[in-house]
Amino acid sequence: MAFSKLYDSAQAAVADIPDGATILVGGVSGVNAPEGLLSALADRGVRDLTCVCDSNYYGAEALHRLVSAGCVSRIISPAPFTGRSDDPVHELWRAGTMTVDVVPWGTLAERMRSAGAGIGGVFLPVGIGTRFAEGRETRMVNGVECVFEAPLRGDFALIRAACADGVGNLAYEGPQRGWNSAVVSAARVAIAEVDQVVEPGGIDPELVITPGIFVNRIVQSSSVPVG
Amino acid sequence: MTLERLDAQSVARRAAAEIAPGSVVAVSGAWAVAAADLVPEEKGVWFLRAGGTLSDLPINAADAGAALRGGHVDLSILTAAQVDSHGSFAGYHAADYPGPQGHAGLVDLASGARRVIAALPHIREDGTPNVVSALSFPQDGARCVDTIITDVAVFRVADDGLILTEVAPGWSAEEVRAITGAPVSVSPNLRDMDFDLPPGRPPSKVYADGPGAIADLPDGATVFIDGFGGPGGMAHYLLVSLRDRGSRNLTIVSNTAGIARVVSFGTPPGRTAIDHSVLVENGQVAKAIASFPVSPSVSRPSEFELAYRRGEVDLELVPQGTLAERLRAGGAGIEAFYTPTGAGTLIAEGKESRVIDGREYILEHGLRADFALIRAHQADTRGNLVYRGTSRNFNAVMAPAARVTVVEVDEIVQPGELDPEAVVTPGIFVQRIVRRPDGFTGYE
Repeated sequence: MAFSKLYDSAQAAVADIPDGATILVGGVSGVNAPEGLLSALADRGVRDLTCVCDSNYYGAEALHRLVSAGCVSRIISPAPFTGRSDDPVHELWRAGTMTVDVVPWGTLAERMRSAGAGIGGVFLPVGIGTRFAEGRETRMVNGVECVFEAPLRGDFALIRAACADGVGNLAYEGPQRGWNSAVVSAARVAIAEVDQVVEPGGIDPELVITPGIFVNRIVQSSSVPVG
Repeated sequence: MTLERLDAQSVARRAAAEIAPGSVVAVSGAWAVAAADLVPEEKGVWFLRAGGTLSDLPINAADAGAALRGGHVDLSILTAAQVDSHGSFAGYHAADYPGPQGHAGLVDLASGARRVIAALPHIREDGTPNVVSALSFPQDGARCVDTIITDVAVFRVADDGLILTEVAPGWSAEEVRAITGAPVSVSPNLRDMDFDLPPGRPPSKVYADGPGAIADLPDGATVFIDGFGGPGGMAHYLLVSLRDRGSRNLTIVSNTAGIARVVSFGTPPGRTAIDHSVLVENGQVAKAIASFPVSPSVSRPSEFELAYRRGEVDLELVPQGTLAERLRAGGAGIEAFYTPTGAGTLIAEGKESRVIDGREYILEHGLRADFALIRAHQADTRGNLVYRGTSRNFNAVMAPAARVTVVEVDEIVQPGELDPEAVVTPGIFVQRIVRRPDGFTGYE
């Protein structure tokens, strides 16, 4: 039963993501996005997803595809708009069918980490004096003005990693780890698209960044990682 | 005649001239990243990039945000769109990003670094100034920029406005003033822009011995001490060095207050494990903040217990997970957080409680220290640490939360010799490195 977390395909791994789900997506600026999982999700035509992700700039073609296919109705991100004229998020937002929440990236990561760590919320000194603190609960803590940031949970996490063993321990390569540690901990079901699957014990324990307790499903990637 | 403005590479070079050897610098945007690329490796500078790297190490987004908020970044260089005379800035042109909030890519960089430099074109293509009295684009940081570098000038942001300190070659103060959208006073020391990198190399972090590495640990200091419970994974050599130094009235923060000696796993006959007890019995400890401060055996009380019964020491009891989280918060610029652990128990007394989504939480605060004494397997000379097995215990959360983190290692290697994927504690969190002497065992 060692490989019970291993799924045959990206399609199978995302088959039960329902309409209206909140998905937390790994990758930074579209690099190291779980392209296979996102494509499979777009193919299924789910609707009304809330998508939490880093900027959708540059390389995240599958994320663009998911958005362009009308699967996403809300994006929570530090930079949801690409700033380019062909930006599908911009089009949908202008048409009133897309809600956009902009959150500084360190704060977004910390909100997911809080959710994963059972923290009820944190006081952060980020964004004071900007639109990101307006209308929010603020307080002076230890003489520092802080904003209260609530945990951010997801139903599913979709991430890319270099290597998984059968029990879901993950190792990354270079900047691949990006949002992943925060993302996988905050989701009810975490799905990892990986380049390589090895037997349990096949990863040096000192190199495991995400322990298998946070990972529910593993899919061997059929695509070359972007980045 | 139209004066030439500097090209992007020259602005980047001027920004690079602000980067001190060995410093930690966050960069975002084209001009800032170009500045980073101009700094040679031997300067030992750490560059935190939004793409998820800290120089040649991978770093996850939560840790990168934590490094910024936690005060570990000496300088942020950001490519801004607009800066005002108070040092508030906008990260992008409003027309480029729709919606009331646009994007937040630079907000973190502005919120934690000790210094913030904004690099930007002095004017836009249509001649509109980008250095202004009041921002017209969305503000990404309030009163945080202290130096503005443009393609014609350098300004210092003072309490009462902008001071022009440098001009690009060929430019006069009046010519700069004419295309600046805010009042400018001219420094009496106005000079041409200086494009030279600061000289020198970073000071070495490697100390010859333990006593030298803690020679300035003062009376009354708060000290993090690593270890879980047994004799493994502790900075024994540094503990003995601290005993020898004799600093008094210490507050120690640790999982236990010294029980390795009483639990004695694997202790050779006739010898005693080195733990916090060496400080307690030497009368150096005034208080412990710990999660397991007593011996598991009633008949074999620890030194700390005996001192507590004699009324010589204070104790703050903290649940183990809360201790780790308070340490992380201290190093991550999280001033306070809500945890469900201990709600409704003695631990909650005197603390704010709050019901969130139907569950009761209590408010806990970050912990910081003057010194951390920790143990790792290997360090490179930059201070990057690799642990071995369970000995990483509290180290990763202690190192960032102390002003001076001293690490005791088995081996010191050259930069590049450690697998970047195996580095758990990046060198930005480590100030001093000592090799544990050959034959030093952790027992005496």
